Amino acid sequence: MIKQEKKINKKSKPKIAIVSLTSCEGCQFALLDLGEKFLDLMGKVEMVDFRLLEDEDDPGDKLDIGIIEGNPMTKENEKTLKELRKRSKILVVLGNCAAMGGIPEIKNYQEGKNTIKYVYKYIQGIQNPEIKEVDNFVKVDFVFPGCPITGEEFLKYFPILLEVAKTEDFSKIPEIADQPVCVECKAKGNKCLLLEGKPCFGPMILGGCDAVCPTARMGCQGCRGLRPKGNVKAMRATLKKMMTDEEFENVTEIFGLRDDIEERK
Amino acid sequence: MEGHAGFMASVLNGDVKSAKLEVKEGIRLIEGILIGRHYKDMPIIAQRICGICPVVHNLTSIKAIEKAMGVEVTEETVQLRKLLEYGQIIHSHALHLFFLSLADFLDMDNDLKMVKKYPKETKMAVQIREYGMEIVKIIGGRVIHPLTDEVGGFKKIPTSEEIQKLIIQGEKTLTTAIKLGKFFEKIKIPEFERETEYISLGKDGEYAIYDGDVTSNRGLHIPVNKFEKNFEELQRPREIVKRVKSDGKTSYLVGAIARINNQSEKLSPQAEKYFKSLGYKMPDYNPFHNILYQMVEVIHFIEESLKLLKLVGHSSLENALTGEYKVRAGTASAAVEAPRGTLYYYVDIDENGYIKDANIITPTAQTLSNLEDDIKEYLPLVMDCTKKERTQKLRGFIRAYDPCISCAVH
Repeated sequence: MIKQEKKINKKSKPKIAIVSLTSCEGCQFALLDLGEKFLDLMGKVEMVDFRLLEDEDDPGDKLDIGIIEGNPMTKENEKTLKELRKRSKILVVLGNCAAMGGIPEIKNYQEGKNTIKYVYKYIQGIQNPEIKEVDNFVKVDFVFPGCPITGEEFLKYFPILLEVAKTEDFSKIPEIADQPVCVECKAKGNKCLLLEGKPCFGPMILGGCDAVCPTARMGCQGCRGLRPKGNVKAMRATLKKMMTDEEFENVTEIFGLRDDIEERK
Repeated sequence: MEGHAGFMASVLNGDVKSAKLEVKEGIRLIEGILIGRHYKDMPIIAQRICGICPVVHNLTSIKAIEKAMGVEVTEETVQLRKLLEYGQIIHSHALHLFFLSLADFLDMDNDLKMVKKYPKETKMAVQIREYGMEIVKIIGGRVIHPLTDEVGGFKKIPTSEEIQKLIIQGEKTLTTAIKLGKFFEKIKIPEFERETEYISLGKDGEYAIYDGDVTSNRGLHIPVNKFEKNFEELQRPREIVKRVKSDGKTSYLVGAIARINNQSEKLSPQAEKYFKSLGYKMPDYNPFHNILYQMVEVIHFIEESLKLLKLVGHSSLENALTGEYKVRAGTASAAVEAPRGTLYYYVDIDENGYIKDANIITPTAQTLSNLEDDIKEYLPLVMDCTKKERTQKLRGFIRAYDPCISCAVH
């Protein structure tokens, strides 16, 4: 009797998996660092795969939500990603690497496949592909942006995504509000870095990060990506006095922003 | 376990000779992508090698750049950096010794199940971890990939109210850590010993973490700039984790167990008391004890953080704000103790501040050979178990080592 009850209970919980490709795993830690808030949330779902905390074999069930962080950088990564997509009603990506290529993408802007020669003597048999964002391989339904993601933002949108998976009304997949980093920055009472002549990409970048960088007096470098209405031209004009074109381009490479800016032109 | 590492199937089938960790990560080529970039990008990029110990990658790269360019920093800057490191080690250890390894010593096959069975202890571990994270958040601006620390000092300093709050939290956490330590005295530790060399930083008068010379239990004592002369980094064909061996041939161990073996007499009072209560004689060659020595270090660094926070509360912290300095050409190496052991950076910078060359040697890259050598001796002892038991025991062995594959590959 009790056993049966348990079974029913288990069935009614949405199934999710958190999977990591090549990455620093910082986005998974951003979740874990939510502490009890994360454990509470995990109590409401059935975690089918979470490699960080369990090494049990994943039975390969259908999933309500598949969550993925990192870059698909090996054939095995690619396979993992495609399988996760196939199994998941909703595929959610965590963080800058998966969404925008992240720091590994710097290689694409430099010597590409030749960057390897600075690091390895024997390169035969080592997988060294051009870095491509996750959406080049599979359809992505929702992105938690940032390097790393903002834990609180996950707590805000994840329950909505669970509801969408339950009702299967995919038109209800939420969108992060199109507002610049500056909104939260001003609300915190920070002194504007740009007004002090210090480079900051805040005005053209999607907010929602609690303006964590400018609050620490570090200029925004755009890890959350361009906002839909972000005005790159105006931003570039403001920054002209503070950094050269080359410096601007270099900084946009750190979080894989450069290709997006070029597309916007 | 952090990062993707599996075992060669041959090992599980009993092929002892080729005991080898198989890494499933891709290569991010961090050293390669640093070349040609401005030095200011280096701490930002390098810390993203690892989401669990970004603070130490950030600090070691900053220290190497400062040394290369001849940038002096103030005492207050060093104090804040040491606090960042204490916070980093406390939260990394709390995560590993409880959430990523303990289940193996309680004969449980799943960390989430363990969390459910021991709610009181879980709460304690979370509390300890939160204190470590709070230190990094207050001083570094963020826990994962901190923001304030830069070449020359800090962009922003904590307020005295924030420091006072940390002291109150730290005092509560110290009591909690001592209690959790008692719980750890009861876990079942497998018996296994294999002699090895223990490498850690060493410095007169303090339990070395932020700086010092490279020392070992076998009498090695060299300055950090001789590191690459003594520890040769080699890549085997088709392998993406480079091996590091002492004098080119011997495997060695770094991390909590190495630090305790090399400098247990420098522990703070409560940590020393707890260490003595464990009753292990030095040198201790049981690698499973790493988890207990992480517990000793958690207590030690909570005590040290309290001491330093009280000092910082009375110093002129504005001296830690980045002052002016000159960009100059130069080469330098630097090392700090990461949670998992000695982290080494080398950098070569040109006169305009652009990076010409960089090398990073992580703790896990240094310990993998030692782990494989240990496994070769451990395997025959578990060969008679069922395949499932054997897999579990080997998994427990590897997890006790606390390898970080993200760091190892970078």
